[in-house]
Amino acid sequence: MAVIEVTELVKEYVIAKKERGLRGALKGLFFPDKRNVRGVDGISFSIERGEIVGYIGPNGAGKSTTIKMLTGILHPTSGTIRVCGVSPQADRKAVVRKLGVVFGQRTQLYWDLRLGESFELLKRIYQVDDKTYEDNMNVLTEVLRLDQFIDTPVRQLSLGQRMRGDLAAAMLHSPDVLFLDEPTIGLDAEAKHAIRSFIQEMNRTRGITVILTTHDLDDVEELCSRLIIVNHGKVVEDGPIGELIGKLTPKRLLVVDLQHPCADVGHKSAQIIKQDGLRIWYQFEKARVTAAELIADLSQKLPIQDLSVQEPDIEDAIREVYATT
Amino acid sequence: MATIRHYYSVATCFARLAIQRQLEYPLFLFSWLLMIPIQYFSGIWMLKIIVDRFQPLGGWDFPELAFIYGLGLLSHGIMVVLFINTWHIDGMVIDGAFDRLLLRPMNVFFQLIASYFNFIGLIDLIPGMVIFIYGCHLVGFDWTMMNIIKIILVIIGGVLIRASLFITLGTIAFWTKRNASMVGFALSMLERGTMYPLSIFPYMIQLLFTFLVPIGFITFYPSIEFLGKSGEFGMPTSIALWTPIIGILCFWLSQRIFKFGLRNYESAGS
Repeated sequence: MAVIEVTELVKEYVIAKKERGLRGALKGLFFPDKRNVRGVDGISFSIERGEIVGYIGPNGAGKSTTIKMLTGILHPTSGTIRVCGVSPQADRKAVVRKLGVVFGQRTQLYWDLRLGESFELLKRIYQVDDKTYEDNMNVLTEVLRLDQFIDTPVRQLSLGQRMRGDLAAAMLHSPDVLFLDEPTIGLDAEAKHAIRSFIQEMNRTRGITVILTTHDLDDVEELCSRLIIVNHGKVVEDGPIGELIGKLTPKRLLVVDLQHPCADVGHKSAQIIKQDGLRIWYQFEKARVTAAELIADLSQKLPIQDLSVQEPDIEDAIREVYATT
Repeated sequence: MATIRHYYSVATCFARLAIQRQLEYPLFLFSWLLMIPIQYFSGIWMLKIIVDRFQPLGGWDFPELAFIYGLGLLSHGIMVVLFINTWHIDGMVIDGAFDRLLLRPMNVFFQLIASYFNFIGLIDLIPGMVIFIYGCHLVGFDWTMMNIIKIILVIIGGVLIRASLFITLGTIAFWTKRNASMVGFALSMLERGTMYPLSIFPYMIQLLFTFLVPIGFITFYPSIEFLGKSGEFGMPTSIALWTPIIGILCFWLSQRIFKFGLRNYESAGS
């Protein structure tokens, strides 16, 4: 059975266009130029139990709006939503009881108080019984290493610790579905790793369904089995990650630093897009040549000091690939 | 029953956390402890000066004015303790805290109110008590059982009328995203409308404060009965018990407005 089913979801906004300066502000006040804009424009998909789905798209594509409708915060203009068979608009309380939601940019923890106090409150709000609470706390403490900072006021936590606290807060009531809106934003590599392994662990041991929005390609590649890609409020792609990643990011960059200048630096399968002193940027298509081949070829004829392979930015890639749709 | 126990356990936990949060900032607490009594005692002092220098206000002498002022402060104080979060709905919409209320399996209005038990507001009640009891003493208030029950009901009604006003204004923030100035406006309107007898205001204002925004029922109309004064608009003199009725009515209406606002809630930001 599908955990989440969305059909023909539409959300319209009224946007008032503002003109420049004081004159524009006054004009906007008396003769507002209002127009309906579809933030979400006929989205349909369904998600099965235990999937980890990346919900990806550029800023303004309608990601957050969709998440807010799925979690019952916003009411759709039209279309239907079923979460565990129930419409979040018809019975908000029944639906949100089964959801854990983390907004990477905002915390639900009490800023002034020690982390543990927020958990205590959530235990009561979700009516978690003592046994379950204890079991969950044990697991969460172990995986997220909460014991290091559970007695620290939230305002004194590092961003990584705070995010771990927020994840734990979202998991206390053993939800069926976890919504993660940019859970790794602004974190360092170690903290990102901790968050990712936590998500995998919860998915593996509890079969929790995860819907993840992110700007981080590594998040997507490490976690998601499936991607739903949205642009301009529409689903432009929905499928297994293996197929989509190749399509989305056909080109990569190889950056090479030479030991000394050379005359012939070209390669038949790669294009030099930039050259700055001893540093050269090669763009190549993954389908035509692998990074390993390219590096092997180049290192035969060039004195390479250092090199790195760069993935393109996922949002740029989406904009480029789906510019026409 | 299980639901009541659930809400009660959450409310007490909210209250405990609110107290703990406020204790994190003792200097802030201390400044309130000093400021609020000064504010109200200077208010009553001003009244006394005005009445001593000039003639009584619209036929109300100082003891009667102290009575009405104290009565108003009591319902104001309780409202500030229980409902202060209705002043901050706009901020909660903007920073996303309001979204969080919608993500939890409990009544949204309950969470809004219960999540901030403003025990600093209890300080507001102290000058209210002192001034009211002083006023009662000056007017020779008859402390019968019946009168005490009536006073309690009038205070409850007054709290509900005040809260309804702020709930309605707060709901407007769902659309406007900003309403701090309206809260300030409503506060000064409430203060002036409850500390002076309504009969000194122009006729239009009296109509407004009686029928449209029933501020007159917070202190003025009940005081008419308690003090044996004459009313306006042919209102019956046994009018004190209308206050709780109108309070409940206003509160019910404000809940409908709040629910309507929730259905049209647009959140903010990403």
